[in-house]
Parts: sequence; structure tokens; C-alpha cells
Amino acid sequence: MLSRTALKSPNARAVSLRRAFATEPATSTSKAVSELPPQSRLKKRRTVIATSVILNRSPILTRTPTLFEQAFYAYQARIRRALHNPFPYDFYFKQGSLLETRFNMEERKRERQAFGPNFVSEDVVDPEKAAADKAAVEQLALQEGEGEELMPRKHAADLSDDFKSLDRRGKRNLYLLLQVEEDGNSVWRFPEGGIEQDDFLHQAAQKDLHAECGSHMDTWMVGRSPIGVYKRSPKSTAEAEQIVFFFKGQIMAGQAQTYGELVKDFAWLTKEEIEKHVEKDYWDGVKDILSDH
Amino acid sequence: MSTAAASTTRSLVRFGRAPRVIKHLRKSRRTGLPQPHVNFVTREFAPCRLEDHYHNTLRDNLMYMTYKHEVGVRPPPRQIRLTFDPNDPYTKNRYNPPVGGSQLGKKPAPPCMPENVVRLEKIQIHAMVKEAVANKGNLLGAIMMMRALTGETYQGGGHHAVEGIQIVRGKKSVGGWLRPGVPLGVKVDLRGQSMYDFLGTLVEFVLPRLRDFNGLVLPPQSSSVNTPSAVSGVVSFGLPANAMVFFPQIEVNVDAYPKLTGMHIHFVTNATGQGAQDKARALVSGFQIPFIRR
Repeated sequence: MLSRTALKSPNARAVSLRRAFATEPATSTSKAVSELPPQSRLKKRRTVIATSVILNRSPILTRTPTLFEQAFYAYQARIRRALHNPFPYDFYFKQGSLLETRFNMEERKRERQAFGPNFVSEDVVDPEKAAADKAAVEQLALQEGEGEELMPRKHAADLSDDFKSLDRRGKRNLYLLLQVEEDGNSVWRFPEGGIEQDDFLHQAAQKDLHAECGSHMDTWMVGRSPIGVYKRSPKSTAEAEQIVFFFKGQIMAGQAQTYGELVKDFAWLTKEEIEKHVEKDYWDGVKDILSDH
Repeated sequence: MSTAAASTTRSLVRFGRAPRVIKHLRKSRRTGLPQPHVNFVTREFAPCRLEDHYHNTLRDNLMYMTYKHEVGVRPPPRQIRLTFDPNDPYTKNRYNPPVGGSQLGKKPAPPCMPENVVRLEKIQIHAMVKEAVANKGNLLGAIMMMRALTGETYQGGGHHAVEGIQIVRGKKSVGGWLRPGVPLGVKVDLRGQSMYDFLGTLVEFVLPRLRDFNGLVLPPQSSSVNTPSAVSGVVSFGLPANAMVFFPQIEVNVDAYPKLTGMHIHFVTNATGQGAQDKARALVSGFQIPFIRR
């Protein structure tokens, strides 16, 4: 947590920063600083820069279509079926093959589904052959492993409200939120930390993420420029104003840990859940960065 | 859930009985197919996973990665060399040459806006069949292969702009080999849903099963960034003939094709101007097409 200790003494840092960027000789700057009366030096608040990572888990399940979408898709598929260009059956299926039989049976079922039960007339075949065909197609389906039970779209983590699981809410974007101890009370915020003098912002962001959440995750920072900024208003007049630059990260593998000393808990939350956890001021600063999907 | 409630009352995906046919539809003289009285245009008929992936994840990330901050309005491009003033009567009809040669490769990228975040416009697939010069019947295998791969047909779904499988003809005369108008290849333009379907098949079934394919090779860093290909926002690569059997659509009946041909695939994006190819590569790699540097 070097970055945090560096932040504790803003004055010392500011002087050294000014040194680094000064265009005139160092002696004159130090003289100018020493000439200022001590009170005015105190009054002049300096802003402190911090970086924060919005670590995102992308959706891992496809979205369930809305009722409107379901109806729309069914209608469009029906029109498409009615108007499709001729399909060269004889090229794709050998005459009398099992695959052809299966395709014809499935196609008849789909036609009936789209255009009603009376649309397709049954082929005139003897019942023995029809039964044999049906049995053969069922055998083929068994061989190909059809009809196996699919994984449920609701994970066990959803049922048990396990906020730490990365498998929860598969259809939504999740974001990593930390519960930290700040001035005696615990607040929820994104992983955050100060910057050291020689660090680039995006490097500092990644370092701070590891400092608070451990290195047991495979993350990827999206781009090198910040995606948002939040000005944290100082609690007292003596305190410096803090500017937080947000960076987006994607988690690929692994899991977060409560690694930093101040970190008490973490959770993977959707946008709506984040609103319930964080303070109003902070929410107004970050809400437009988060995805509604 | 509301789905269950709706299904008890009336299904959204089942339809009532079709109306009785009173008068049969007019048949098209050209195709022999029945023609509806009105022009139908069909839209999406199934949810599309990769398109959702683009809108949920890729678009945001690409916007953050390719954003370049600009303050104020861009200054007009600098005039390198003076041209003739077209309003001056003395030089009125004089040939006015373009300044400093072709400016195509030096065109700056448009300013970053939410509307022009890089996106996939179309995928073009084409194959040349050399044997078709001698006998155009040799094109049939390639046509059926494209048909199986993409499912595109002429004006499929009622879209007049959907051309289906097109035949590419020779443009100029090459001594002793090619004459203008000789069919020698096929191509398909994929847009929308069929584009994403093809991309998904390619990425999930074909590329992982290719033996000695580690990714699309990036050009060396010293290569020029001002060439027309570097500013057009297209990522291209080819697949050999022996990769075709990995497409499940072709795997099913490989025997039906007398000879498989390889194909070229172009991912056409909306990126233009300097750095367009990098943007296009970032987009395509977001769809899990690997890139390697030699």
C-alpha cells in the first residue's frame, strides 16, 4: 500500500511535483515557496489524483428475448418460410438416406408449427415403414446425444444470493465493488488508490487493483485512457480535493480477494444493485459509466 | 413469470389456421415461383448472440480503446502546393492536378463520435476456380459450397439488395488464358444476421481445428501506414481448400463436392482514414479471430 501512504502527505508531494515540472532553476522556486506566509500556504488546497478500476464481468449467457421480440421473431420466421427460395434437397441428402428421412420429418413438423396442422398432408406410406423410419430417427438422435438435459440458466449462486460468485446473473454485466473502512465507517466503492510520481495513470490503476483485490485474477485493462472522472468533495476545508479517474478492466479468470488492509468485503453487482450500495454523490459520478445490459 | 401467463392465454409464437386459398398467387415468369401481391421484406428472425456481444461488450470497449480527444473544430488541411484558381478566367479550363499525388493514404480518421465507433459492415467471401476458364461447369461446386456455407440466395427475404451467390467474370484479356466476361469465380456479401452466423461458425468450428494456424500474421511494424489497404478498414485472410471440411455445413456431405476450393474472407468495417486497419483488427479480434506477430 505504498500508494496510499504517498497520498497522506499532499504538501510534500506537491512540492516535489513542482520541482519535477519547473522550468526555472530549482533555487528560485524554493525561495518563492519560503517567501509565502505560512497561512496562505495552508489555505491553498491542492487536488490529489487517484485512480480507480471498474472491473467488469461481461455477460456469459445470451439474453432472453422479450415477449415482443419472441412474437416478432416467430412472425418473421413464418414469412421467411413462406417466401424462401427453392432448396436443393437432392444435393444435400442422398436419396432414401436416414438423414433425408430425419430432415423431412423435422421439416414437416416445422411447417405444421408455422402454418397450422392441416397445412402438410401426410405422405402415403405403409405404416410399417413409417414406424421403422421413426425408430431409426430416434436411434440416431440417441447416438448424437440429443435430448440431454441442458444446464439451467439460473446458477446456484443466483438461488443462494451469493454476491461473491462470478457465475451469478449470467445475462448481465457485473462490476466489482469493495466495502472499505474509511474514517471509521464502512463504505462501498470501486477498487481505488493513489498514484506514485513516475506512474502512468493506467499503470497506477492496475497496481491499485492488485493492492486491494490481490493478484489471483487475470484482468485486462481496456485502453490507456480514463473512461470517467469523479471529483470527491473534501470533508473539511483543510482537506484536499480528490479527483478520481476511472479505468475499465475486464476479468478473464480468477477471483478477487479481500487483500488490502482496509478492504472488508467485495461483491460482484449489477448496475441497479450498485445504486443501493453506494452513496448518492458517488452514484451520480459513476452511473453513466455502467452498462444497463 | 409473464411468459407463463401469456402462454396460458394465447401463444405468441403459434399462429391460427391459415386462411383458405381462394385464388392462387401469380407466378413469376422468370423463376416460376408464386409472387405475393405486396413486396415483403423480412427482418431478423432469431436472436443473434454475436450481435448482442457487440452491443453489450465490444462497442464500449472499442470506443474506449480508439477514442482520440480533439478540442474544437479541425483546421482545414494544409495546402501543400498551389493549384490553379478555377475562377480565374485565364486558367478556367486548365487541367487542375491533385495536390502532391494521391492523398488517399493520408486521409485523417473522422473525429471519434458515438455513431462511428468501429463496427462490422459486411463480410465478403470469394473464391476463384481456375478450372472454370476451360469449363464453366467447374464453378458449380464452388457455388454449392458458398450456398451451403452462407445460406444466401438471390433477393433472399425479399431484400432487393441481397444478391446471393454472385458469379465473378473476367474483366480484361490475359493472353492465351482469360477473356473478358468469362466466369471464373464466385463471391457472396454477408450482412446482418447471416454475417454473424458465418463469423460464429468460422471462429468456433474451423479456426480451432486448423492444424498449423496460430492466427492472422500482422505485418511488420516497419510497414507503411499510409497505403490504401491500411486506411480502408478491412481485415482479409484466406482459407485453403483443406480447411473447408471443418465447416459443419460442408462436413455433412463432403462427398457431394467433386473438388473443394479455398476462399478469401474480407471483414469490411466502417473504419476509414489513418489507423483504420488497427481499429478493424481490434474489432475482429474481439470476435475471437487471433492475430500473431512474426
